[in-house]
Amino acid sequence: MAMAAALRREGKRLAPLMSSQPPINTTLRSSLISPLDQSSIGGARSISTQIVRNRMKSVKNIQKITKAMKMVAASKLRAVQTRAENSRGLWQPFTALLGDATSVDVKKNVVITVSSDKGLCGGINSTSVKISRALSKLNSGPDKETKYVILGEKAKAQLIRDSKKDIALSLTEIQKNPLNYTQVSVLADDILKNVEYDALRIVFNRFQSVVQFLPTVSTILSPEIVEREAEAGGSLGELDSYEIEGGDTKSEILQNLTEFQFSCVMFNAVLENACSEQGARMSAMDSSSRNAGDMLDRLTLTYNRTRQASITTELIEIISGASALTG
Amino acid sequence: MASSGAVPFWRAAGMTYITYSNICANLVRNCLKEPHKTEALSREKVHFALAKWSDGKPEKATIRSDTPDI
Repeated sequence: MAMAAALRREGKRLAPLMSSQPPINTTLRSSLISPLDQSSIGGARSISTQIVRNRMKSVKNIQKITKAMKMVAASKLRAVQTRAENSRGLWQPFTALLGDATSVDVKKNVVITVSSDKGLCGGINSTSVKISRALSKLNSGPDKETKYVILGEKAKAQLIRDSKKDIALSLTEIQKNPLNYTQVSVLADDILKNVEYDALRIVFNRFQSVVQFLPTVSTILSPEIVEREAEAGGSLGELDSYEIEGGDTKSEILQNLTEFQFSCVMFNAVLENACSEQGARMSAMDSSSRNAGDMLDRLTLTYNRTRQASITTELIEIISGASALTG
Repeated sequence: MASSGAVPFWRAAGMTYITYSNICANLVRNCLKEPHKTEALSREKVHFALAKWSDGKPEKATIRSDTPDI
């Protein structure tokens, strides 16, 4: 037992020596690029256990970090989720009153893409950008133009690449304070003041469950278009059957209503997107930890194989040396 | 009481309905008593960075205001 331990120690001491004598064929391949390659063909040179050990250490650290990120995302998700679900009640009466007219044909479309500022959250920002691009293509034609308003860094980075000219506004650093209605309404107000629109289409990820996020488009029409649609009949045509109290005219009420509707829908969109972001980050970090664990298992096997091979080689040399002396 | 055709005072001053309702909400929050007041006012903090675009990225105006008024 002590002999085996001594031999093992010798093996460890001599192993870096063995692999540090660089034979010509392995210097051509850096051992960092193909660390799991053991060339047993010509020279029985194997990877140094040191390198494998370093890799194992770094993979383990990465696994710890991603596990921690998953916990953080889970706790943030819990906090935002109730607020997002409660905020759904803000826009539901509007949809009941004004309808959600996604298919209305208008000249000036503004696509508002809601995305996150931070990364490592899976594919949700890419899906939002994909849908925004598809929307702008759908609405292209003579006389029609689409502009983008971008919330969040990630969508900005993606949309800069090919739609630079169509961007009207970009807003970042939204999540510095916890999300509240006041902030979103100031945002909405700025958008209303800076962009001319006939229809606003908000693209965001609706939170269905921790693993499922549905990309959604919510449409808000400008008051003039609402009036036009109301005259044309359809779901908006019943607006006239409502009585208006208080002496405001119908167009004034419509204007107030559409502004408020925009603000409410934006609030819900931002909250739901924040929820989806945390959920996506949770699942991304979870799969990353799992991959790191798998990698660690494979590296451990390699390490043990390498270690045992070096010990065996050592033993063989010692024993053949000893037998050469005695025999 | 307003005659038809006259706009309310806030719209004539250039505010949208959103700004008007935010100011009213701020007034209501300021009417609260102390422990609830600071909680409610902390729910009003605004911070974001707005950049207008014209073919590239011009001015970057950081609008960081602790009041909801513009």
